[in-house]
Amino acid sequence: MSDLPVLLEMRSITKEFPGVKALADVNLVVRAGEIHAIVGENGAGKSTLMKVLSGVYPYGSYDGQIVYQGAETRFSDIRASENAGIVIIHQELALIPGMSIAENIFLGNEPRKRGAIDWKAANRMALDLMARVGLREDPDTLVKDIGVGKQQLVEIAKAFAKDVKLLILDEPTAALNEADSQHLLDLLRGFRSRGITSIMISHKLNEIEAIADQITIIRDGRTVETLDVKADGVDEDRIVRGMVGRELSSRFPDHTPKIGEVFFEVRNWNVRHPISAERQVCKNESFTVRRGEIVGFAGLMGAGRTELAMSVFGRSYGVYESGTIIKDGKEIVLKSVADAIAHGLAYVSEDRKAIGLNLLDDIKTSTVAAKLSKISRHGVLDEVAEYQAAESYRRELRTKAPTVDEGVSKLSGGNQQKVVLAKWMFTDPDLLILDEPTRGIDVGAKYEIYGIIQRLADQGKGVVVISSELPELIGLCDRIYTVFEGTITGEIARQDADPETLMKQMTSTKKMQTR
Amino acid sequence: MRKLIGKSMAIGAIAALALTATACGNGREGDTGGAKGDTKGFAADSLIGVALPSKTSENWVLAGDLFTNGLKEAGFKSDVQYAGASTTVADQQAQITAMVTKGAKVIVIGATDAAQLSTQVAAAHAAGAKVIAYDRLITNTPDLDYYVAFDNFKVGQLQGQALLDGMKAKKPNGPYNIELFSGSPDDNNAGVFFNGAMDVLKPEIDKGNVVVASKQTDVKQTAIQGWKAEGAQARMDQLLTSTYGNKELDGVLSPNDTLARAIITSIKGAGKTIPVVTGQDSEVESVKSIMAGEQYMTINKDTRNLVKQTIAMVKSLQAGNTPEVNDTKSYNNGAKVVDTYLLPPVAVTKANAAEAYANDPKLGPLTK
Amino acid sequence: MSRIKDLQKNLFGGTTSNARQFGMIFTLVLIVLIFQIWTNGLTLRSDNLIALFNQNSYILILAIGMLMVIVAGHIDLSVGSIAAFTGILVAKSMAEWSLPWPVAILFGLVIGAIIGAWQGFWVAYVGVPAFIVTLAGMLLFRGGNQFIGNANTISVPEGFRVIGSGFLPEVGPDTGYNNLTLLLGLAACVAVVWREFQARKTRREMDAEPAPMWISVLRMAVMVGVIVFASLRFASGRVGTSFPVSGIILLALVLAYSFYTRNTAGGRHIYAVGGNSRAAELSGVKLKRVNFFVMMNMAILASLAGMIFVARSAASGPQDGNGWELDAIAAVFIGGAAVAGGIGTISGSIVGGLVMAVLNNGLQLQGVGTDKVQIIKGLVLLLAVAVDVYNKKQGRFSIIGSLTRSFRRDTPAPPTAPPDAERETARTAVPS
Repeated sequence: MSDLPVLLEMRSITKEFPGVKALADVNLVVRAGEIHAIVGENGAGKSTLMKVLSGVYPYGSYDGQIVYQGAETRFSDIRASENAGIVIIHQELALIPGMSIAENIFLGNEPRKRGAIDWKAANRMALDLMARVGLREDPDTLVKDIGVGKQQLVEIAKAFAKDVKLLILDEPTAALNEADSQHLLDLLRGFRSRGITSIMISHKLNEIEAIADQITIIRDGRTVETLDVKADGVDEDRIVRGMVGRELSSRFPDHTPKIGEVFFEVRNWNVRHPISAERQVCKNESFTVRRGEIVGFAGLMGAGRTELAMSVFGRSYGVYESGTIIKDGKEIVLKSVADAIAHGLAYVSEDRKAIGLNLLDDIKTSTVAAKLSKISRHGVLDEVAEYQAAESYRRELRTKAPTVDEGVSKLSGGNQQKVVLAKWMFTDPDLLILDEPTRGIDVGAKYEIYGIIQRLADQGKGVVVISSELPELIGLCDRIYTVFEGTITGEIARQDADPETLMKQMTSTKKMQTR
Repeated sequence: MRKLIGKSMAIGAIAALALTATACGNGREGDTGGAKGDTKGFAADSLIGVALPSKTSENWVLAGDLFTNGLKEAGFKSDVQYAGASTTVADQQAQITAMVTKGAKVIVIGATDAAQLSTQVAAAHAAGAKVIAYDRLITNTPDLDYYVAFDNFKVGQLQGQALLDGMKAKKPNGPYNIELFSGSPDDNNAGVFFNGAMDVLKPEIDKGNVVVASKQTDVKQTAIQGWKAEGAQARMDQLLTSTYGNKELDGVLSPNDTLARAIITSIKGAGKTIPVVTGQDSEVESVKSIMAGEQYMTINKDTRNLVKQTIAMVKSLQAGNTPEVNDTKSYNNGAKVVDTYLLPPVAVTKANAAEAYANDPKLGPLTK
Repeated sequence: MSRIKDLQKNLFGGTTSNARQFGMIFTLVLIVLIFQIWTNGLTLRSDNLIALFNQNSYILILAIGMLMVIVAGHIDLSVGSIAAFTGILVAKSMAEWSLPWPVAILFGLVIGAIIGAWQGFWVAYVGVPAFIVTLAGMLLFRGGNQFIGNANTISVPEGFRVIGSGFLPEVGPDTGYNNLTLLLGLAACVAVVWREFQARKTRREMDAEPAPMWISVLRMAVMVGVIVFASLRFASGRVGTSFPVSGIILLALVLAYSFYTRNTAGGRHIYAVGGNSRAAELSGVKLKRVNFFVMMNMAILASLAGMIFVARSAASGPQDGNGWELDAIAAVFIGGAAVAGGIGTISGSIVGGLVMAVLNNGLQLQGVGTDKVQIIKGLVLLLAVAVDVYNKKQGRFSIIGSLTRSFRRDTPAPPTAPPDAERETARTAVPS
């Protein structure tokens, strides 16, 4: 591989923000036709480096040199880098939901005929581009009506519309399920065979190991090393070692579960979709949770796990149809989130930025937000009690922030997640439902979150973990339910759980009992 | 120990501040000036405040200019203010208060809402300023000193008479179909104009010689809020649709020129022949319209004369005299009968326009 | 050197740690000083200060309610019309049904509550955007005002006028000042000192080092100085005038609502709903109830403002309330509230409203016409918000802002990086 010609070289890139050195002397060599992975913990400087490359931070705002196709380039803005064939696809997709696929693909780049947009040509060209990325849809379909996986493909098709030479993907599979991820990775392999160079930023080390030719590891704004996957015999542990700077013996803390009696039970749970009432999102689902137990919910994206969790949590999703909730042997009716909180339920949402936190708040106000009654008398808040509560959780969970007055928007994903956990621990729940608790969090912080989850279980609480990462469920949970299309399709004990079994049950309606 | 120092510092600072404040603001202000009205006049270069309504009509703009120049010529300092376009009442209240603060000796007010200024007039009075209501009588206040205006009842009578004369000239015999418009209901004058006109028209209506075809004769139905042209135009549009599908409209009583032109625009838009339309204020566009044979008449209440009269009153107040008034009975503002000086209005049609505007530098040339 | 640093860090912080808000206080002081010089001392003369409060208290009362509406992520365009509608009904109730004026005030507040419940119902329970509901309300209640009042002006009795143009009465010995105003000022001074010591105590309980004593003293001295100055000014107004009754109503509302928004669960919920309504809902906040409350509260305050204006004008007229919503909204945004909701303070809005009021007053004292005043006010609004947006985009605060950033703790805050820069406050360590 390393005999390929060099396409891009970034030489000693240094980028400073007021008071922070985001990048210090970073070097990157990308060869034509390879898939080059950039890995590093959150905050290591990966995205900043890509913003320097794509002209988001224009020439002059950083030190160092970018040599592209043999000549030094000085991009003044994104347009300049796109004209040179460098296209970046961000983690947050830049599509307009209310526009069609074709409109999105050609947004800002519309084919024209006598001044007017030539939609016939646009649709024809769109079909061609869509075929190249393996997207079979009507180009007139609105983007909001297709899944996240397909939206990602639209983004890539959009890149091809601009004659891309170097494709940069920032966490392309973060929001995708296994099948869509696989499809995307295959697509990247196809590009490689056609000579298109890709740079991929990802946290998913198994994917990187599977697809990348070269891996550059960045830590604290510096290049640590560049590994050749084949030549150096790189595996996940090797990458992790580079990222965290030391050996990581285990990805999960040791834990001996102390499981008690069943205390929480959902029976025959039926819920309909909030808008299209004919769609049933929860079909007669039943499950139990024991004290001290960590229960996993595995399923593909859209299987209805989040919907199940949220509808149980005070009917905060969908239209309740039938079903009972039994806690400590008594039936309880939870008509609102306030009811659910009062009965000791807590739900940590999968999207902490959109619905988990108020990003305008500081750590202090976020921590107490779900149970203000605990720090107030007659509705009047006790500032000191609030501070003390937030501070004690900050210490306990080791949230990295100078003070609890820090705004949550300034925290990294891992620390934000700790604040959300603190917020729900503060409500003294008996049952915590954690929806994708480690999404977008780097390796080190994940380890800590797992530890917190285990400690909560050891306190005799029941914990439900919804996750799309099978290794996480297998490593963390005592028991795993599989969900497929709104139905619970299986229940697997820890010792029987392996990815193959889970995957099989996550993709079929046949009930299997392996307990 | 440090705490003690801190506290004593605080106390010291407070004491110091209190002292300075006391030293510079000792006792109560505002007792100066001729609050009781027993002093004779005031300095010849005193400030005279003039608060006028928003610039919705040429007349107010002209009046403002005349006041600025006239007061300057008379040796006074002047502060001429217009109310804003939307927040008229609040603006005028604030402006009058500011004039009082600045120590104006006489405040001339062309009120936006005649009933909502009593607090400010009282404040002016208490501060020793004389208040002259200009053109519009300020109601419900015992603190208003003088009122100067054209004889508005007379204006209405002239409009009514001209309407009858104009229709007769076009069509010797009745019955005539007419429609009635009146001004903003919050303007005290609007009712006076209307009553004056009805004083002439009512006998004819009772006789059946003149017919208000829409039957809208109540002042509440005919009023145009805020003297707004678009309001008059919209009302005329509706009248034409509802009443004059197959009927001839012979005359429209319009209280002023702005509304008259809006009414004519509406009628022209509907493709009807222009009836006899009255007006008032001698606005440039209306004089042109009269000369072109569209609007029938207007009233010349020469703003120059009114401003001149007002300034004359200010001057005699300055000298410590009682200004000349010619009506001490008719104008009761709800709290007292206000001493009033009334100027006579003149009706102007195409026939006498050249003569009426002979001395007017702006309107005179239009009549040639 | 370190003293200067202490000063920078602590003096202007306290409750108003918002940089924007401090910027506005600074601007307000600057504008006052400029006009004080420009008008040869008229601006701070007692009669002008009294007039300033009298003229603007109703707008500032609206700004209180508007702040809460905007923080919750809504807007209310109907306040002027509601004020006018209530005004005419209250005036009529006294003129035609001869309600005694205290009953009429109550009647007005009830009308406000009913209107508020109507609008709150549509916003909170039906889900019609507040912009639309209140746009409809603007037309509805303006029309209602004209329908009921027939566009006439209706006078109100003397007693009722107290809430709009009354003053603290003269009692006690002749001190050359209005005694009640002096007492009010004294009470305010005591409150300021008490609060400062309370704040120090709270900080100690929060394991934080309180600001150095001399800074507390300086801060108290500045505030006490301002209060002493203001109360002497108000107390030395022409006999019969002193601190206006409408100002007292305003003051009471500001204190009560500041406490409500800052220190109670209900107030916290308004910010939560405006910051992220879905997150608030999933934290157990009763979204509908909060939205209903802010809309209803606004209508009640609008009614109160309308009555104060009628009382001040001695009559209810058809022009009442025209354009008030814009003044109130402008005050709130100049005072640092975010258009998207979730951010803003009562005190900030009051300062924002005062900036506009002083500007208006000063320009009028200078004899600048309303046309130009409007142009200047428009530019000030634009500029104030633009500076804020610009600073946010730059990811740093203004020089003034940096003075105020961290009153709360003595640990220096980390340098602020651009929001989009990937940065972890401290790197997470992995136990081996």
